[in-house]
Amino acid sequence: MAQGVGAGSELAEPARWERAGSLFARWREGDGRAMDDLVRLMTPTLWHIVRAHGLDAALAQDVVQTTWLTLVRRHESIRDPQAVSGWLTTCARREAWRASSAHRRVEATEAEALEVRLPLHESAEQTATTQDASHRLWLAVERLDERCRRLLRIVAFEERPEYARIAADLAMPVGSIGPTRQRCLGKLRALLEDDGWGEP
Amino acid sequence: MGRTMIDEDERSDAVLFARLRALWRAEDPEPADLAERMIAAVAMEDVAREYTLLALLEPSMLAVVRGETDTATLQFGDGRTNVLLHVTATEDGSRRIDGWVDAEALAIRIAQGDREWTGAMEARGRFAFDAIPPGLSKLRLVVRGVDGEQHEFQSPQFEA
Repeated sequence: MAQGVGAGSELAEPARWERAGSLFARWREGDGRAMDDLVRLMTPTLWHIVRAHGLDAALAQDVVQTTWLTLVRRHESIRDPQAVSGWLTTCARREAWRASSAHRRVEATEAEALEVRLPLHESAEQTATTQDASHRLWLAVERLDERCRRLLRIVAFEERPEYARIAADLAMPVGSIGPTRQRCLGKLRALLEDDGWGEP
Repeated sequence: MGRTMIDEDERSDAVLFARLRALWRAEDPEPADLAERMIAAVAMEDVAREYTLLALLEPSMLAVVRGETDTATLQFGDGRTNVLLHVTATEDGSRRIDGWVDAEALAIRIAQGDREWTGAMEARGRFAFDAIPPGLSKLRLVVRGVDGEQHEFQSPQFEA
């Protein structure tokens, strides 16, 4: 794990969805501060899920806010408080999808065609240092096609991905999500190996 | 053998996903104040609560801003929480409303009928609204009391 970026400690943390569930339950019982803590806990995750849809920063913030306001308005529809984490990420994906389809039209097939070699992102060149393992990982991620990048980011931040819902939100057949995920991971590993950098 | 292979693969995938998470957190982090702004938005949206009506303390009659150079000062309170408001007419005919609240304010808004504006919160309880159209207005705010609980207040209508 020489190239590790903090993976080990993260795996040992208590599950985020469980913490979210108990905070949500406490808020429903009248503890106003529990909602503040829930917002602090889940906002970063929602940000990454929304940004995975390619929204610019301003629009992404609007979508995250809409997600929270929707929770406040419709929280009674959530029967099991433990489901709140999945409810939030699903809501964020749907709102992001709605916002992105209103703002731009990128066909998935076109994105696949771009896969061959994407030009390197300027920001990646600016921010990443040259020999760093995370820089190499970033370069490999940048070379993935849009669909793979999106799917991997969503799955990375969802603790308990519900493939049926993600499939619907990404307009992909349900049965294809698992294989697509593996195909995307395989591509990423191949890019890393091309770069002379093996898997840990 | 199959069992072990699957476990190995899953572990290897989990490690790669953890590294991807760390990467995206570093390369595209959420804005530093995003969570706090979301807390303010949620506090305002939580309509289950009831507003406590603040009383107008100063002046005893509701002020009207008339000329371009006029500033009206209003003070509202409920005995524990106090709000001071300055309403200033601007050159373009709109109003600037700024003020101060002596509590930890989570969110603050001006309402005119169905329309609402969210105020910019500054340090030490200061807040400001730019370009509010003239008209009957109410101030709404959500504060965190010393007891840690949220309290919601609404001012009587005033003429901005």
